[in-house]
Amino acid sequence: MRVLLAAARLQLATFRRSPDDLMVLLTVPLFTPIFLVIAKHAGRLDLAPYAVLAPGIIAMLSMALNTSGEIIERDRWGGTFELTLATPARLPVIVLGRVATVTLASLLGIAESWLVAYLMFGIAVPVLHPGAFVLTLTATAIATAGTAVVFAAVFVWTRSARTFQNSLSYPLLLLGGALVPVALLPEPLHPISRAVYLSWAADLLRASLAPGPVSALWPRLGIVVGLGAVGYVIGFALLRWVIHRARTTGKVGYA
Amino acid sequence: MRHVHPISIRHLTRRFPPARKGGPERIALDRVSLDIHAGEVHGLLGPNGAGKTTLCKILSTVLLPTSGTATIYGFDVVTQARSVRPLIGLVFGGERGLYSRLTARQNLRYWAALYRVPRRQVTDRVETLLARLGLAERAHERVETWSRGMKQRLHLARGLIGDPKVMILDEPTAGMDPVAAREFRGLVRELRGEGRTLLITTHDMAEAEAVCDRVTLIDGGRLLRTEDPRTIGRWVSAHERVDAADVPEPILSNLESLPGVARVERLSRGAVRIHTSVEGATATVLRTLLDAGVTRVATTEPSLEEVYLHVVGNRGMRV
Repeated sequence: MRVLLAAARLQLATFRRSPDDLMVLLTVPLFTPIFLVIAKHAGRLDLAPYAVLAPGIIAMLSMALNTSGEIIERDRWGGTFELTLATPARLPVIVLGRVATVTLASLLGIAESWLVAYLMFGIAVPVLHPGAFVLTLTATAIATAGTAVVFAAVFVWTRSARTFQNSLSYPLLLLGGALVPVALLPEPLHPISRAVYLSWAADLLRASLAPGPVSALWPRLGIVVGLGAVGYVIGFALLRWVIHRARTTGKVGYA
Repeated sequence: MRHVHPISIRHLTRRFPPARKGGPERIALDRVSLDIHAGEVHGLLGPNGAGKTTLCKILSTVLLPTSGTATIYGFDVVTQARSVRPLIGLVFGGERGLYSRLTARQNLRYWAALYRVPRRQVTDRVETLLARLGLAERAHERVETWSRGMKQRLHLARGLIGDPKVMILDEPTAGMDPVAAREFRGLVRELRGEGRTLLITTHDMAEAEAVCDRVTLIDGGRLLRTEDPRTIGRWVSAHERVDAADVPEPILSNLESLPGVARVERLSRGAVRIHTSVEGATATVLRTLLDAGVTRVATTEPSLEEVYLHVVGNRGMRV
């Protein structure tokens, strides 16, 4: 627990000293007006919750890809990776502490989006099922952190992590139903989309803003957490592989 | 009770796969065996690519050997890595290895947690180390604004944060100015005084000579010799040098013909350097010079650099 907290503090201190890591939170307020204007001019202000929620989800995923995804890579280039391996602390715990902090920071994007909608358009999107909303947001954050561990482990050994980061974000946002619900996507995409935790999470978040009851909350939450758990399992296995590779070959990645 | 060396290495070999397909395999360490005693400052002296850093990485559990064993206080660096890590402080030279956007204090507090320094001791240990390394006044500044020498001192502080029994310092004075390097030597003596065992890699002969109890010469992944620095000096005492000024030309011919004189090197402004090749030849040279009325004379001990040249050969200096 102590190492986890130390890693979280390190990440917070890094944020304070490197605000560029939080750049996504500056772009979120730009997305909200775009989506809201489209909804407004289409005469579909009933879609305002979709328009307000989407930028928050985009922020969460972008920070998982770009900031969390680069945690090990940056340590590697900074020469701290090997020194970390030489300490009694476990790398997966350190990565988890840092990734969790990034994920928590990314949640600010959701608050920002709500604020922008209210301040710029006077639209206050009510959270009609606050319990479901908070639970879903928590489950989403947990699953996002797990997925971010996978990104951090994968990007460190890819030759062109930046290309992956850039090209992965759009498919994930599409398949994750960040703006458009999965149900509206072409039928062949549904099975793939349902394997992405975000698609379940985004649907649940939207449902918690809608007037009707939130159906099958617990099973759907379970799926979000379950898919997130799969992310942790894969992520930690990949981290073990990264450590093993570093120790056996003397190299961490291919770059 | 069985005596356990802080560092014990047996037939350690590390090969790296070829850089390109079909290329030759690189042998970084070739059946290296070495014991380092408790409280000893041991120098590992060799040119770049000799295998020094590879050995440091294996000892600090960061890299696995291809074959052979290495233990730290009896714990195997491969099979008991978790027991080894708290015992070791690892310091790499150069600018890398710190969170440069954070302050020195933030860096040390983070590493203290990773080394599981008891919570109550963290503040005291961090501040003590900052003061000890002369960094306290600027501990609140971002490390990226510091000079290379200051960063190097912070590396040392980081290496000491876990209060290790064994310190592995890989080129610790890289980038330090002469004053800082001298201070570093003082620190090494202090650490030895505290009972720590230090393994220092360097390609700086003077540094090894100044701080080490024993020095191991390494090249091409193989250990060549392990000796007291003064013993190494004695190996080439036959190669002692005599510097003299205002030596009359006829005397130079006499000197060249003396037994044990390898060559007479003419330096600038009438100065000469007489290189000997037999132990005891220096005394004959000095007598000859004094008899000829030459009084501006100095003998110089062979440096480790010269030792290295004699033991390793010219290849060793192409670093």
